[in-house]
Amino acid sequence: MAQTMFRPWSGSMFDDLRREMNGLLRHHGASAEPAARGAFPAVNLYETGDAYVLTAELPGVRREDIHVGLEGSTVTLRGERQVQYQSDEKTSVHRLERQSGGFRRAFELHVGIDVDKVEAVHRNGVLILRLPKSPEHRPRQVQVQAG
Amino acid sequence: MTIHQPTHDLQLRDKQELQHESTRPGLMFRPDVDILERPDAYVVYADLPGVDATSVQVRLENEVLTLDASLATLPEASWTPVHSEYRIGGYHREFRLSDAIDTGNVSATMRDGVLELRLPKVERKRPRTIEVRAS
Repeated sequence: MAQTMFRPWSGSMFDDLRREMNGLLRHHGASAEPAARGAFPAVNLYETGDAYVLTAELPGVRREDIHVGLEGSTVTLRGERQVQYQSDEKTSVHRLERQSGGFRRAFELHVGIDVDKVEAVHRNGVLILRLPKSPEHRPRQVQVQAG
Repeated sequence: MTIHQPTHDLQLRDKQELQHESTRPGLMFRPDVDILERPDAYVVYADLPGVDATSVQVRLENEVLTLDASLATLPEASWTPVHSEYRIGGYHREFRLSDAIDTGNVSATMRDGVLELRLPKVERKRPRTIEVRAS
């Protein structure tokens, strides 16, 4: 299974991603589809004051088929998307574009995560992973004292 | 019988952006769909991640089926992007159907970001066999 690591705070994240994608294109050779191929699922990462939020589009993946793992500051997503239809000889298929299969990705976040407070929600086919920063990484105000 | 999609490790496919929808605000993408035809109905499945049921519009006009879904609700305004691998926008796609549809009985459901659309054919278009009786 393909596994991709990215390191948002190391500065080489985009190089890592490009290498990964080039590797996949080489692997598939001439049979690769014209669309760019990379690791599934694509993710976006956002920062709020006290947390990071990682989102991934997983339409048609059931909640119970998504597994989120945390180890230190490494987040793993794995699971399975099952697309199958009950059918008989009277059913004809005009288009089958929606893919089926397994996925696994790992992300190393080089910041402390408060592992006990991580929350995962699957809403409208989007996984939303809320990763609270550990106390020492949260923004804070320092009160200026009178001298 | 069960139709299985070939199972392998999923590969990322870039979202297909629609360039000609210039009158619409924001990005529009072409959703992946599966279309099955049964003797009495078409069944359409469309991947619309991030879209809730109230944001989907289905129109049927002159045998053209149009799916429209407005912009997704994420990300929230207070989130600052740090790293982006996919873009977010609405969805649009049109299909021409070869049979007349019983528009009063179309049903649409959304589950986990997937639209399931059941389009019953009008009665007269259903194939039928006529039994020949012995006289």
